[in-house]
Amino acid sequence: MKSGSPKAGVLSSLYRNRGLVTVLVARDLKARYRGTFLGYIWSLLNPLLLLAVYTVVFTWVIPARVTSEVPFPLFLFAGLLPWGFVSGVLLDAAIVLGDNGPLLRKVVCPPEVFPAVTVFSHLVHHLLALPILLVAIAVAAGNGLVRFPWTVVLLPIVLLIWLLAVGGLALAVAALAVHFRDLKDLLHNLLNIFFFATPIIYPLEMIRVPVLKRLIQANPATPLIQLYRDVVLLGRLPSLAAWGWAAGVAAVFWLLGSWIFSRLRETIAETV
Amino acid sequence: MSAPAVRLAGVSKRYPPLTRRGKLHSLKGALLHGDLWRVNEEHNGFLALSDVDLEIAPGETFAVIGPNGSGKSTLLKLVAGILQPTSGSVEVEGRVTALIELGAGFHPEISGRDNAIVNGMMLGLSRSEVMDRLDEIVEFSGIGPFIDQPVKTYSSGMYVRLGFAVAVTVEPNVLVVDEILAVGDEAFAHKCLDRIAKLQRRGTAILLVSHDLGLVEQLAQRALYLKGGAPVLTGPAGAAVARYRSDVASDEAGSESAAGSSRRWGNGAVTLDQVDLVDGGGRPIRLLMSGEAAGIRAAYTVRMPQDDFVFGIAIHREDGSYVFGTNTDLDGWKPERLAGRGQITLEFPRLELGPGRYLVDVAVHAKGGLAYDYACEIASFTVTAPVGWPGCYAPRHGWNPRGPAMTPPSE
Repeated sequence: MKSGSPKAGVLSSLYRNRGLVTVLVARDLKARYRGTFLGYIWSLLNPLLLLAVYTVVFTWVIPARVTSEVPFPLFLFAGLLPWGFVSGVLLDAAIVLGDNGPLLRKVVCPPEVFPAVTVFSHLVHHLLALPILLVAIAVAAGNGLVRFPWTVVLLPIVLLIWLLAVGGLALAVAALAVHFRDLKDLLHNLLNIFFFATPIIYPLEMIRVPVLKRLIQANPATPLIQLYRDVVLLGRLPSLAAWGWAAGVAAVFWLLGSWIFSRLRETIAETV
Repeated sequence: MSAPAVRLAGVSKRYPPLTRRGKLHSLKGALLHGDLWRVNEEHNGFLALSDVDLEIAPGETFAVIGPNGSGKSTLLKLVAGILQPTSGSVEVEGRVTALIELGAGFHPEISGRDNAIVNGMMLGLSRSEVMDRLDEIVEFSGIGPFIDQPVKTYSSGMYVRLGFAVAVTVEPNVLVVDEILAVGDEAFAHKCLDRIAKLQRRGTAILLVSHDLGLVEQLAQRALYLKGGAPVLTGPAGAAVARYRSDVASDEAGSESAAGSSRRWGNGAVTLDQVDLVDGGGRPIRLLMSGEAAGIRAAYTVRMPQDDFVFGIAIHREDGSYVFGTNTDLDGWKPERLAGRGQITLEFPRLELGPGRYLVDVAVHAKGGLAYDYACEIASFTVTAPVGWPGCYAPRHGWNPRGPAMTPPSE
């Protein structure tokens, strides 16, 4: 059967259904801006406007400077961009199976396709916003504010690690949200807590209280966001330990997420 | 018969309880023991389907009938692979397409064309396969230029037509249909039936759920009658429909419901004692020459005198396909009184059947369907013919060559 036996792994099922995932991602993107005047330009415009607001606020309203190396608006933007990717994916993952209930209940359709579509369509948006950050960094470099981070060539590897981590989380959230509706509300709060418990709007070095610092270092999201920002903005080559730590976290997320998903897979269609 | 397209063995389906407590309990189980949800499945919940055995051959059309909530849709979803059985096994050969809700999952904001592509891929085609069939889909759906409009602008009929068009173009090995032929206008309904007939000829096994019992008798060779999740009868579609009608009638009348095996049931008010094929002289026979006079004679005993009764007789082939059926009501006989013992004969001046073996169902029931005695395959007979004509109808005939030079048969 095309939909795959329930025993088959999530990854192999996704590979088999890659055509469907691609088409559904395209559908998502098409539907998203349908009827809007600017269409895909919004994907560029949204982050651009956000960056403009940060620049104005944190340059002239509250002149903030958290590192000596880069202007704060760029620092903030380089943290918010990947965070927006994760939180967007997880919030959508919590409702994606419910939204596609008719397909799951009435058509033979492998459920793992939908969290995957969520992840990839957010990834596309992320990739569309990324050039804004890179151009902003280049402009700042041109003005002598920063050195252009050539480590950015490592970004594909970082994104791969992110994809693994986010994918695992999305699978877990999607499957659990079907059975435990409370998860959706819980998730909002968890994301809020993690937003501040992860060095997104501040660098880790800024924290003076040792206990707090150790706590934030232990946060599994910390190595991921640091890896991303080191490579894309700060131009630091992450240490092997940093790579290993981030990749380890991602692998655990993925294994845990796909395990939870395959445990609950059979029950999704009848519960959703 | 070749390997079955669909095979269900001892299939049961139990739904978990959806109460708040059940949820919390399972959440606790999930977090503490890691046994995610499966904990209370074994002894709680709602048994939607119990112990169903079923085989459907390629090219066969099989119907599932029964009252609402009897587990018909659950059965379809198990075959479609949407649900997994709690126990037992479901085996399906080849590609399954489920027509459970047409156009399910169409995205309102994107065009009919894009939706057709997504839907087709969801039903198991590759992108290029869908593209190849797209013209056919558009043509069949009759949507015309609207195919490039977002489907939110479609009428419900257009929606359903597009859904059906995609589903049948997939050319499945097994087609699962849930009560959808009632949709669309008259013309489209005919188109659907044509297409289903085409799939039948191609060897697609069709599993059909419908409350339209006339349609079931027309389309299906065999049927399963489900009641409260349990199979009551699996047999020729006509017999299953009759059993279902009888049960409905007895429920409505509040009378003793028909009981008995899958081959024979009734409330016992009248019993059919003996059914024979008789020749023109009234002597019982087993073998008959095609075109000879014959009759089917049923002897009965009445335990509770009736003034509402119909005798019916049906002849079918061994594969369940009907050859002929009639009853006293159809032929205009008004019942007056049925008591004591007696017999009734359906006479054919010339029984022009093709050579082969035939089975006879005989029933006596109330006009509303309540069965007094319904006996499936209570008698059988064999028809012989001088020539092995194929088919079941062998009328008198002759050739009249005007042009070809031919020698007539010697005789």
